Amino acid sequence: MTAARLGERRHWRGWLAAVAWLLAAVPGTGLAAELDEVLARGELVWAADQEGGGPHVYVDPENPTRLTGFEVELAAMLAAELGVKARFQQGQWDRLPLLLGRAADCVINGFESTPERARDWHCSRPYFAYALQLVARRDSALDSLDALAKEGPRGPWRVGVLTGSAAEIEMRRRSDLAVEVVGYDGTVDCLEQVRGRVLDAVLMDDCIVSFNADRFGELRGVGRPFAGGTYTILTAPDTPRLSKAIDDALGRLITDGRLKALYDRWDLAGRQQMLLLRDATEVPPARRGSLADLIRGALPLLLRSAGMTILLSVASFPLAIIIGLAVAVGRLHGPAWLRPLLAGYVEILRGTPLMLQLYALFFLLPKAGLALPAIVAAILGLAMNYSAYESEIYRAGLKAVPVGQFEAALALGMTKWQSLRHVLVPQAVRIVMPPVTSDFIALFKDTSVCSAITVIELTKRYSVLALSTGRIAELAIVTALLYLAMSWPLSLLSRWFERRLERRSERAPG
Amino acid sequence: MIEVDSLAAIRSGNRILDAVTLTVAEGTVTTLVGPSGGGKSTLLRCLNGLETFAEGRVTIAGHKLVAGEHPPRALERVRRDVGMVFQGFNLFPHLSAIDNVTLAPRIVRGVPPAEARSRGLDLLERVGLSRFAEARPATLSGGQQQRVAIARSLAMEPRVMLFDEPTSALDPQMSAEVLDVIVELARGGQTMVVVTHDHDFARRAATQVVELVAGKVHRTGPAAEILAGAGH
Repeated sequence: MTAARLGERRHWRGWLAAVAWLLAAVPGTGLAAELDEVLARGELVWAADQEGGGPHVYVDPENPTRLTGFEVELAAMLAAELGVKARFQQGQWDRLPLLLGRAADCVINGFESTPERARDWHCSRPYFAYALQLVARRDSALDSLDALAKEGPRGPWRVGVLTGSAAEIEMRRRSDLAVEVVGYDGTVDCLEQVRGRVLDAVLMDDCIVSFNADRFGELRGVGRPFAGGTYTILTAPDTPRLSKAIDDALGRLITDGRLKALYDRWDLAGRQQMLLLRDATEVPPARRGSLADLIRGALPLLLRSAGMTILLSVASFPLAIIIGLAVAVGRLHGPAWLRPLLAGYVEILRGTPLMLQLYALFFLLPKAGLALPAIVAAILGLAMNYSAYESEIYRAGLKAVPVGQFEAALALGMTKWQSLRHVLVPQAVRIVMPPVTSDFIALFKDTSVCSAITVIELTKRYSVLALSTGRIAELAIVTALLYLAMSWPLSLLSRWFERRLERRSERAPG
Repeated sequence: MIEVDSLAAIRSGNRILDAVTLTVAEGTVTTLVGPSGGGKSTLLRCLNGLETFAEGRVTIAGHKLVAGEHPPRALERVRRDVGMVFQGFNLFPHLSAIDNVTLAPRIVRGVPPAEARSRGLDLLERVGLSRFAEARPATLSGGQQQRVAIARSLAMEPRVMLFDEPTSALDPQMSAEVLDVIVELARGGQTMVVVTHDHDFARRAATQVVELVAGKVHRTGPAAEILAGAGH
């Protein structure tokens, strides 16, 4: 096969992969398992996020291999009603519905009934009633819900919410409040951040508050629970018989008192729950907007988040280069005692995931009394992580400068540091320009990891918008184009550097 | 100007230099000759501390170097007064010719940039390269690069110049360009030590010739005496 044909084939393969990816991203186009398939399999696969925490689904502290929570028991009861076993499937909470039709038959994880969910998925009859509760430290100046209307002593109140939850929707809807809403992936993380004074308060479902009340004794509920709603079980839109079977099973559990007994067992006020479920009204599905409306609404948000992506990159990479260069010089020319320490620094940062490092900076440092704002932690985390890689590149670059250059500098009476500063480092910088530029592009894309510590950059914004509007594929294309528009100029720059270096080495004699 | 007393250098257990003693008077030119591996370059590099030695002592341009003691500060002081020109030129490729010449005076001696530049241009003029002041080393011929390297060393106004086979990497025509510059310097009274295989140069310019064989001084004397009968 000629090179041209091979290139053509690769080209087509790329397109096929892109189309397959898009199809997979559209909800309901996967081959969802209908009721008969679930029965034949003998398993009902239910999805939840154990990181979401109790009382829904969480790891049993006394036996970390076991999952527990009232939804774990509910899933088992529903599966038994269908005559099958329940199997748990882990997923990130705000993306659990995307598992439907592929990795899971249903999602049972405190998903509130909302018009958007009713539009995109099949929502079961309600199985639990919740209300939202604001929680703050006992010594906080925030003493009532009304206090949120005016800024606190440190500016707008920083209120944590679970990303994609009803609490987030409620907080973002309330333009009358002086709050800065910060999205988290786990409820316990939120509570920890209130305890560590990173957040002023957190808004979450009342059952989560009472479940964690003993563990977070220094926190208290502020005001009465408000803005109530119900939880629903999500199934794929193209499995009507499975959805009906689950609805029927839930009905039986409610009528014969087994659901009430479950809630009583979990101290979740069974009788009250049954009354609330009886009176719950159905949530009508939202209308699907036009593509033009979607783009008009989403583009400004996506562009602003793209700005955050750029800010994170351009703030952290120069830092990474400075630290990396210092580490490289220290390892090659520093005092003997320093070298193993720097080697350790590089190995630790290269050997552990960026996500873990960001977590440590953002969630663990406050425990040591140093609470960094999320954006500072993100920039610092990216800079430190990439400094390890940059230091290795610069080390190779410094070693690639001929030893005669160092000798010539020393022979002119320069000190070691003058030689490094004026002779060796400038040459090493030129040598490593192409790999460093390509690392910048990599860092640029790695900024998406920062969403784990509440920084909303482009990928996170996409994910939130896609799930709330249901326009997963369309927004994916817009987001991908934005990334491309940002990284392509960088690629061009990188190639320009390489060509420049090649031309220079061609001119060199010998 | 230079006193070398019982110098010995040991590398991997081998005595590369052994009991080397010699004297170089101010304003004279000494050439180090002898077979390859005889220790000529090592001796030269011991004179400005680029290599260490195990025994003996060196006094050069008023500075003392003692075996086993090579503190960086002392070496920097020696090197400010002792210039060196390498076989492979070792020009800084990221700097223009004039910047190569002015870098050390500016950052080591603290000469103001304008003054360093004007003196640098004079030096390039002296080696016949003022037209190439802004050229990068990669665009110059080998002979031109070596002449820039000489100007770069002279810019520090060294009391002694060391040349380590300055023409070995050059073809005869380019060698001649470089040798003319060195001979000119010698006539101007610059004290220098030159490692070379070029006996013609030794005959033209050397006050004394030192022949090193297997790390020892084999013979010392005027060029006419040491090189009598030897060919090119």
